[in-house]
Amino acid sequence: MSRLRALFGFQESGLVLVVLVIGAVLTIFSEPVRRPKFEILPDGTRQRVFTTDASGERVPAFEEKNKFLNAENLTQLAKDTSFVAIMAVGMTMVIIAGGIDLSVGAIYALASVLGATLLNRYGPDGAAAGALGDGSVLAALAACVAVGVACGLANGGLTVALGVHPFIITLGSMAILRGIAFVATDGLSIGRFPPELQNLVLRPIAGLSLVPLFAMAVVTAVGWVYLARLAAGRRVYAVGGNETAAHFSGIKVNRVKLGVFVFSGLTAGFAAVLNIGYYGAASSGDGQGYELNVIAAAVVGGASLSGGKGTALGAVLGALIIQMITSGIVILGMEQKYSQIITGSVVIAAVVFDKFNSWLSRRRLLGAAAKP
Amino acid sequence: MKTRLFLLAAALAALVPAAHAQRTLTIGLVAKSQGNPVFQAARVGAEDAAKELGAKHNVRIRIDWRTPNEEDAQKQAEAIEQLVLTGAEGIAVSCSDANKLTDAINRAVRDGVPVATFDSDAPNSRRFVTYGVDDLECGEQTMDELAKVMGGKGIVAVLAGNQNAPNLQKRVQGVREAAKKYPGISIRDVYYHKETPQDAAARVEQVMQANPDITGWAMIGGWPLFTENALKWQPGTVQCVAVDALPAQLNYIRSGHVPVLLAQQCYQWGYRSVEHLVNKIVLKKDPPAVVDVSALIPVTKANVDEFAKNWDKWLPSR
Repeated sequence: MSRLRALFGFQESGLVLVVLVIGAVLTIFSEPVRRPKFEILPDGTRQRVFTTDASGERVPAFEEKNKFLNAENLTQLAKDTSFVAIMAVGMTMVIIAGGIDLSVGAIYALASVLGATLLNRYGPDGAAAGALGDGSVLAALAACVAVGVACGLANGGLTVALGVHPFIITLGSMAILRGIAFVATDGLSIGRFPPELQNLVLRPIAGLSLVPLFAMAVVTAVGWVYLARLAAGRRVYAVGGNETAAHFSGIKVNRVKLGVFVFSGLTAGFAAVLNIGYYGAASSGDGQGYELNVIAAAVVGGASLSGGKGTALGAVLGALIIQMITSGIVILGMEQKYSQIITGSVVIAAVVFDKFNSWLSRRRLLGAAAKP
Repeated sequence: MKTRLFLLAAALAALVPAAHAQRTLTIGLVAKSQGNPVFQAARVGAEDAAKELGAKHNVRIRIDWRTPNEEDAQKQAEAIEQLVLTGAEGIAVSCSDANKLTDAINRAVRDGVPVATFDSDAPNSRRFVTYGVDDLECGEQTMDELAKVMGGKGIVAVLAGNQNAPNLQKRVQGVREAAKKYPGISIRDVYYHKETPQDAAARVEQVMQANPDITGWAMIGGWPLFTENALKWQPGTVQCVAVDALPAQLNYIRSGHVPVLLAQQCYQWGYRSVEHLVNKIVLKKDPPAVVDVSALIPVTKANVDEFAKNWDKWLPSR
């Protein structure tokens, strides 16, 4: 029993329980689905399996699976979660430090279109084909990340230099950056990339596209280490908890604020890499409205909008919960028009459950401390 | 004895439905956005086709409507992937971004799920059929009709919706190319906006405030005409030709603000897409051509009331 208590005594345990409960509900209440049968070849790719019917004709083979609890659907869920989750880790840092970043969707779009433009221009069919040799993919990836960092620097720099609330700064930069993306592309979608990037992101492992899941795990791990294990991360909590006290403790508050915006931009740039790698195209309309999804994921994951609270793992779990609800509506065959009502209601329920679990944990701790 | 006969009959009766259990065929429908009534008409068309063709082929056809609330190509790609995973046997999609959806469509086809497109195509994908207007010709026809009512001279503004939509980009191209035929006509600019009626109406108002010399509007989608009083000028002082002719938009024909509406067959987007998919999946029949072109129907004061009656069938009943 004490091991169970220890297992569920960590900060995000409530969210993990919510994920498990939603998963259990979806598993139990989803109908079985008839899916084409595939076999995994030695190179990791999938191939359809065929059989012979009663009349001797070669027909595709099918198998029945649980609509939710099957490897393909869980991989799909991880992929759909990964874009928002990666940006939510960055957003959580900004929120912990007492700020907000409304421009993440626009940074995602701008980084995506710049990377896409480079891939298109210097790829094998592009206007400057061969000019970068085999380096066009690396250049595009570097460009995505560099744009993210640069935008983060601009947001953080303006916030700190002008002393204006980041809500205003990032509200303005959201419009500017998306406008730049539109002007740079004339509103056109950019595609026709060299295949190397998509081959990397879509690379099958045991027949599944697991690269987005690994990317999400890496960003989560980096975020967790930074916030929970490094002094720099503790300084972020200190600034968000009490900026004045942090200043008088010798913490360079402006440097911390600048750093969290850079990290937020970095995660948006990294998510842009996944975007162009997975979907093979980008446009200035990408990520429209994603800032709200990212903020929702961070807050559902336990970040407090008044600062000083939140974790990287919580952000990812928050994104996962929201995505499970969205996917669950499809899996359970519910009418699409109710999706916003259902999503909002379950988000509130998830947060209430998490708060209740935290209260229970505090009570247990107080009870244990009071014992002689 | 009677009891045994009764039990035997009951057992046989229970077997009969099992022996003739109807096949259920799920077809996914992914339009661009929920808010646009043209896609609501497409949904009605799809549901009607599902009923009629289902009865004809003794198949229960279920339309799984998975359209994002607002235009978002990534959400559409996710919807296609989810539909494949949840057992849809066919998908019809109107693409917000052809480049972004091409891979999702190809993966669906690779997994054995045929995909049809309507309204806005993904020409480089492995979709087996596309149904809709020829967008280049649509843009040209819009400009030709406008030039006719403008007498071949004036300053034109183009209202163009989502700048990323490939079908709308083609229509704009068509407008520009047709405008070259009319030396007395100049295009002030192409104005984009979020594809909601309110945003479109606001855009028209802003442009007219800043450019009171505009004498014609080529609306390659009739978004602002879903609102009341979107066109704040006296009928006939500024000419307007728009694509689509839904009920709210027809009032502008009656008021004289809009001489011509070019109606897309949005009900048929859904109906024909389901028809093609059923032919492909149930009858194993491919369409005669990959591109199934639908014509625009001009609606003027002469036929507006007759045309209006169609919407009783084409839109969802409340």
